[in-house]
Amino acid sequence: MRFMMIQFPKVYATAKPGWVPDLKSMEVMGKYNEELGKAGVLLALDGLTPPATMSARVSFKGGKSTVTDGPFPETKEVVGGFWIIQVESREEALEWASRIPASDDEMVVEVRRLFDVTDFDPEVQKEIQKRFGDAEKQ
Amino acid sequence: MRFMVIIKSTPEAEKEGAARDPQFLRDMGKYNEELIKAGVVLAMDGLHPSSKGARVKFSGKNRTVVDGPFTEAKELVAGFWIWKVKSLEEAIEWVKRGPNSGTGDYEVEIRQVFEMEDFAPMLSEEEIQYKIAKRAELPNQTANK
Repeated sequence: MRFMMIQFPKVYATAKPGWVPDLKSMEVMGKYNEELGKAGVLLALDGLTPPATMSARVSFKGGKSTVTDGPFPETKEVVGGFWIIQVESREEALEWASRIPASDDEMVVEVRRLFDVTDFDPEVQKEIQKRFGDAEKQ
Repeated sequence: MRFMVIIKSTPEAEKEGAARDPQFLRDMGKYNEELIKAGVVLAMDGLHPSSKGARVKFSGKNRTVVDGPFTEAKELVAGFWIWKVKSLEEAIEWVKRGPNSGTGDYEVEIRQVFEMEDFAPMLSEEEIQYKIAKRAELPNQTANK
């Protein structure tokens, strides 16, 4: 099963435009990423720039859409990046998340299972394959 | 440039076994087909409700696992795409064309994805190329497409 480990870094709510992580934390996280890669569990990973750099929200309400430019000061928890891993169980996913080299109050990590085609009933599976066959294979 | 386009959850979607509005699902399917045809989509996935998830909190060497569900449904991730477009404006235009039947209110957040080049000059050219090559080996890495 696939899990997404989503990190919510504390600094992202107030980070200035153009913010980048410091070299030290990049090195530490780089080592962890290499471990995930070597274990063969890593499918994808990416980091996001903080909302102040370039972001927007679009709300759909009652058939109307409203665009708000970032940052979003009222939001305490902002997505900072993610890993997608393929593991045997939820426990294994939590084990990997627990090994993330984060220090006190640096971030919270949420571990969420991704939908796989096999989670849907056979009828829906066929429909998904027909429509998105190639996109789902990536 | 690449953007992560995050569909935020709603209290209804967070309910276990919640049946989604079939019209909304059909509209979303059509919309996804359009996005794929236009060559905008690099990846997309949906997340199970947070009731099946967990959060890990860090304190020194200690790790605390808190099981879901999490209450702030409005801030929870329900699904995402990674898009390749020319600008934030183009991403906004695509989002505005998303399903909007008037029944299911929802919010979408558009966030820029870091490229390795963004870390120059902190990382040397050699280190950047090394990281790009390592990422290229990953099965789902979206930067390769």
